[in-house]
Amino acid sequence: MVDISLTVNDRLYEISIDENMRLIDVLRDELGLIGTKEGCGEGECGACTVIMDGEIVNSCLVMGFQANGSNIVTIEGLKKDGKLHPVQRAYIEAGAVQCGFCIPGMVLATKALLDKNPNPSDEEIREGISGNLCRCTGYNKMLVATKKAMVYMKGE
Amino acid sequence: MKLNMVGKNIIRVDAEAKVTGEALYPQDIYLDNMVYGKTVRSTKPHAYIKVDIREAEKVDGVLKVFTYKDVPNKNEHGVVLKDHEVFASRKAIRVGEPIAFIVAETVRACEEAYRKIRIDYEELPAVFDPIEAMKEDAPKIHGDSNIIYHYKLRRGDIEEGKKKSKYIVENVYKSPMVEHAFLQPEAGLAYVEEDGTVVVVIATQYPHYDREEVAINLGLPEEKVKIINTNVGGAFGAREDITAQIHLALAAMVLKRPVKVIYSREESFLAHSKRHPMIMKYKTGADENGYLQYMEAEIIGDAGAHCSWAMNVLRKAGVHATGPYVIPHVKVDSYAVYTNNPFTGAMRGFGATQVPIAHEQQMDALAEKLGMNPIEFRMKNIFRKGSITATGQVLVDSVPLDRCIEAVDKSFKFSQLWKEGK
Repeated sequence: MVDISLTVNDRLYEISIDENMRLIDVLRDELGLIGTKEGCGEGECGACTVIMDGEIVNSCLVMGFQANGSNIVTIEGLKKDGKLHPVQRAYIEAGAVQCGFCIPGMVLATKALLDKNPNPSDEEIREGISGNLCRCTGYNKMLVATKKAMVYMKGE
Repeated sequence: MKLNMVGKNIIRVDAEAKVTGEALYPQDIYLDNMVYGKTVRSTKPHAYIKVDIREAEKVDGVLKVFTYKDVPNKNEHGVVLKDHEVFASRKAIRVGEPIAFIVAETVRACEEAYRKIRIDYEELPAVFDPIEAMKEDAPKIHGDSNIIYHYKLRRGDIEEGKKKSKYIVENVYKSPMVEHAFLQPEAGLAYVEEDGTVVVVIATQYPHYDREEVAINLGLPEEKVKIINTNVGGAFGAREDITAQIHLALAAMVLKRPVKVIYSREESFLAHSKRHPMIMKYKTGADENGYLQYMEAEIIGDAGAHCSWAMNVLRKAGVHATGPYVIPHVKVDSYAVYTNNPFTGAMRGFGATQVPIAHEQQMDALAEKLGMNPIEFRMKNIFRKGSITATGQVLVDSVPLDRCIEAVDKSFKFSQLWKEGK
């Protein structure tokens, strides 16, 4: 067992975990944050994407102990005071949500992109979500959603 | 006409739960006193098997290892033919076929037990090519013949069609096996309610079929089986056949504890169906004016080791074999054939997706022989209102295919480029 402390969605956790736990296991099995999904377990699909110290990571490829001292945002951390994040709102309105399994990772990848670059080009948007596989939509709705979110975020 | 829904932007009912991470898929559900399952699968495509679970059952934390001997009633299931065994009994017929289901207090104990399961395989000759599998002396997967189904479509007189055809093209097309790769790997839970009702929580396309199958295998009346469908993380046809449902229900019923299983991506590939690969032999003829006169097609679909929807899929391939074209003389034979390959079943299009690879390339090849713009050639032959299909259906309602082709042509500037010799 190993002791770690990490901040997840603005809350500090001090926990003792198995050395061989991945960050996704810590989030889901220890902290009960089941919004983070596992699609492949080998960093291909991006369903387990979380934001770690401002950067998106595949939480299946980060060991739990490596997250010691880090600041993590999961999908549960976006809605604040009952209000959806602009990216969440835009995804709903654009019809970018179908089966939903890629959506937590996709929404976080979109948020991380817009936090760094508030005016991405179409190509930059495609690049920004290129690590996230979706098997339902064909990605065009994510592009539409991201453009909507750009506008909403400027209005805030 | 006043429309309430059509043309309006409707927000889907589950969208908010999905963007906030609140939507539950089976892997997200944790129950008190829950134990875990792991499936043991065949690593050989065709072999007699002997399974020794004794060492595995001794592993600390293991509650039981289930095999075919533990299925209380019939050890079989399947959407059309009951040709899947819940657990392979005497012989394994494909890689990935379930042989046993380990249930333990922890995932780690499951994995340790998994390494201690002994399976002796006595390998049998296997067949992977559906054309080979159709031969009399081929290894048989089920029963006396590997041919599951033969669909015949006959219209007009093929000899007459040949006589009228100045240009004939003959080609063989092959389409590959395809994995659906829905994003949410199979996962599920089962538990028993106070009155003995067995509940399976799963992402499925057929809760009603699942209920019937689970009830039959467990020897329970249907009202003592409940299937709860969670959010479904993509399916595309691959959640039409049973995967973990019966294993979970059996384990929960016997052990009286909630049992959960999550497949890895690799196991997901092994567990569910694929798209039927097809071998499509086509002969198509047109007269000197560019009108189609006949088409003869033989379509062989590889069903793999289980039928699943093979007959329905190969029927659909046969029905759609002409494509959207008026052809007076047609002969189609489509076959579904067992092999020792991964089994194939429903996937987007359900047999109608493979045949365009053949009929559209035939159209291009004929247009080339005629020296005609392939768009113009298609416009001469497409279904329009009032056309009769090869199956004899009169298309009485809207058939806006001409508009579709015109729009595509305009957008791609195809005819313009063709004229310029590009």
